[in-house]
Amino acid sequence: MTSPEEAAVTVEAGPPVVAAAEPTVAVRHVTRTFGEVTALSDVSLDVAPGSFVSLIGPSGCGKSTLLRVIADLLEPSSGEVVVAGKTPHRARTDRDYGMVFQKATLFDWRTVRRNVELPLELMGWDRTRRRARADEMLALVELTDFAKHRPAQLSGGMQQRVAIARALAFSPKLLLMDEPFGALDEITRERLNLELLDIWTKTRTTVVFVTHSIPEAVFLSTDVVVMSPRPGRVLRRIPVDLPRPRDTGTRELDRYFELVTEVRETLRGAGLL
Amino acid sequence: MSRRGRTAINLVAILAGLAVLWEAYRAFALATGNMWPGTDVALPVAVRGSGNAQQFPHVWEPVLALGRPYRGGGETLGAFLLGQVGYTLREVLAGFVLGSLLGFLLGTLFAHSRLAERSLMPYVIASQTVPFIAFAPILVVGFNSLESFPRWSGVAALSMYLVFFPMTVNTLRGLRSAPATAEELMRSYAASWWTRLWKLRVPAAVPYLFVGMKIGATAAVVGAIVGELSAPSSQGLGAAIFSFGRVSNNSVQLFATTLVAGLVGIASFSTVALLERAVLRAYAGAGPAR
Repeated sequence: MTSPEEAAVTVEAGPPVVAAAEPTVAVRHVTRTFGEVTALSDVSLDVAPGSFVSLIGPSGCGKSTLLRVIADLLEPSSGEVVVAGKTPHRARTDRDYGMVFQKATLFDWRTVRRNVELPLELMGWDRTRRRARADEMLALVELTDFAKHRPAQLSGGMQQRVAIARALAFSPKLLLMDEPFGALDEITRERLNLELLDIWTKTRTTVVFVTHSIPEAVFLSTDVVVMSPRPGRVLRRIPVDLPRPRDTGTRELDRYFELVTEVRETLRGAGLL
Repeated sequence: MSRRGRTAINLVAILAGLAVLWEAYRAFALATGNMWPGTDVALPVAVRGSGNAQQFPHVWEPVLALGRPYRGGGETLGAFLLGQVGYTLREVLAGFVLGSLLGFLLGTLFAHSRLAERSLMPYVIASQTVPFIAFAPILVVGFNSLESFPRWSGVAALSMYLVFFPMTVNTLRGLRSAPATAEELMRSYAASWWTRLWKLRVPAAVPYLFVGMKIGATAAVVGAIVGELSAPSSQGLGAAIFSFGRVSNNSVQLFATTLVAGLVGIASFSTVALLERAVLRAYAGAGPAR
């Protein structure tokens, strides 16, 4: 089967650069209403392959709604969304993305390993392959020793790492994260930020990350998208030019503070701070 | 002391307290001639009669009666009742298993389709508002007129009738108990309805299924005994209650039979509770406390 990129190249005979730049997620003039409430108003957003885009804003700015529209868990009222060159519905049935929620949402009745195996089971992988892959993912999130534990025996941070392992188990092109570290304490959160960057570097997955923490957004992202509420829309997109690899020292760079201030100023300028 | 030890001591203390109260009332009524002292108002229950026909025997008399021949000679009452328990248990087991299955299927259907829930649930509820004691003879006799079924199946049907309702309600509740994000997760995997049912909803419902089955386990015993009482039945605990209560008017044996029936109910409940503990422990690494 030819991918849309290849098709575009042969038909247009243009430079391959154009095809490679096709965004993993393209949101075009999307509006979404819930009854009288407009959750998203004319939102447009491109997420380039391999990038790490954070959506930030106060509660009610539609960042979680936008994530669910991309995931085909909600339909837009108007506008168009393209995920991996397909409709979001097709992308979902093709399992092009993995998802992580604020709550780890692990199944109590399965061991940690079998939780990671869940998507592979649904995709019909055989037992041996499933198991090998789950162990590989658990090694990636450094939970090899906990494979046979029950989720309830793990701390909140460890549970969230299992959820990340599960989301990445089938190597999706895209990782959608809805405030994944929002319920964790600050120290665990900073450690998981580092781990997530490490995983992102190793897997080269494109990430769309919803958060309400400005430092977290700046530290992690290639781009920070600042949103405002009622109705939810994009205020500004701020590219983050901090050097990589990022580590604990990154949080002490002058440029880091400048960028945090820039995000904050954007929110203040819109009367949100 | 262990928790189990304390529970056992509490149980013995409560039973001893009840026995003391019983005996105190009995002694009081005998002393006052079944009247409130100094009045001409009768006590609520009179202590009368002697031997097997006593209206208010000593606590221990029914227990002792279990070890004695229950009529003239031969078989002891305990041995006789044990045989009846065996007969009744067959109805209980059939009613419990079939009622639980029916309840599970109905609950699953309702979880699948709001339309089915809205159109059928009122009838399910209505079926339980009919006084089942009035309804029992109709069901049992009606069922027994179908010749291809064994004699005990009518009683089993009444037992099932009491079991399926708590099972339906708890199955429905349990299947809807999975958190919203878990449902979203399954949708993000494009999981089919069946997959969501077997991989998420049914496992999430297991604690609720056990609640339904525990209620069902006691209801099944009540249903079987009432079924035997309310229809011409010659065997089972209900038939024994009928014959001691209405035919031979032997209150000591009636109390003994009631005691055995109570123990059957407790045993039925405990069997499911033990199963629950084992399953939930293996299942979530936790006990049934949820």
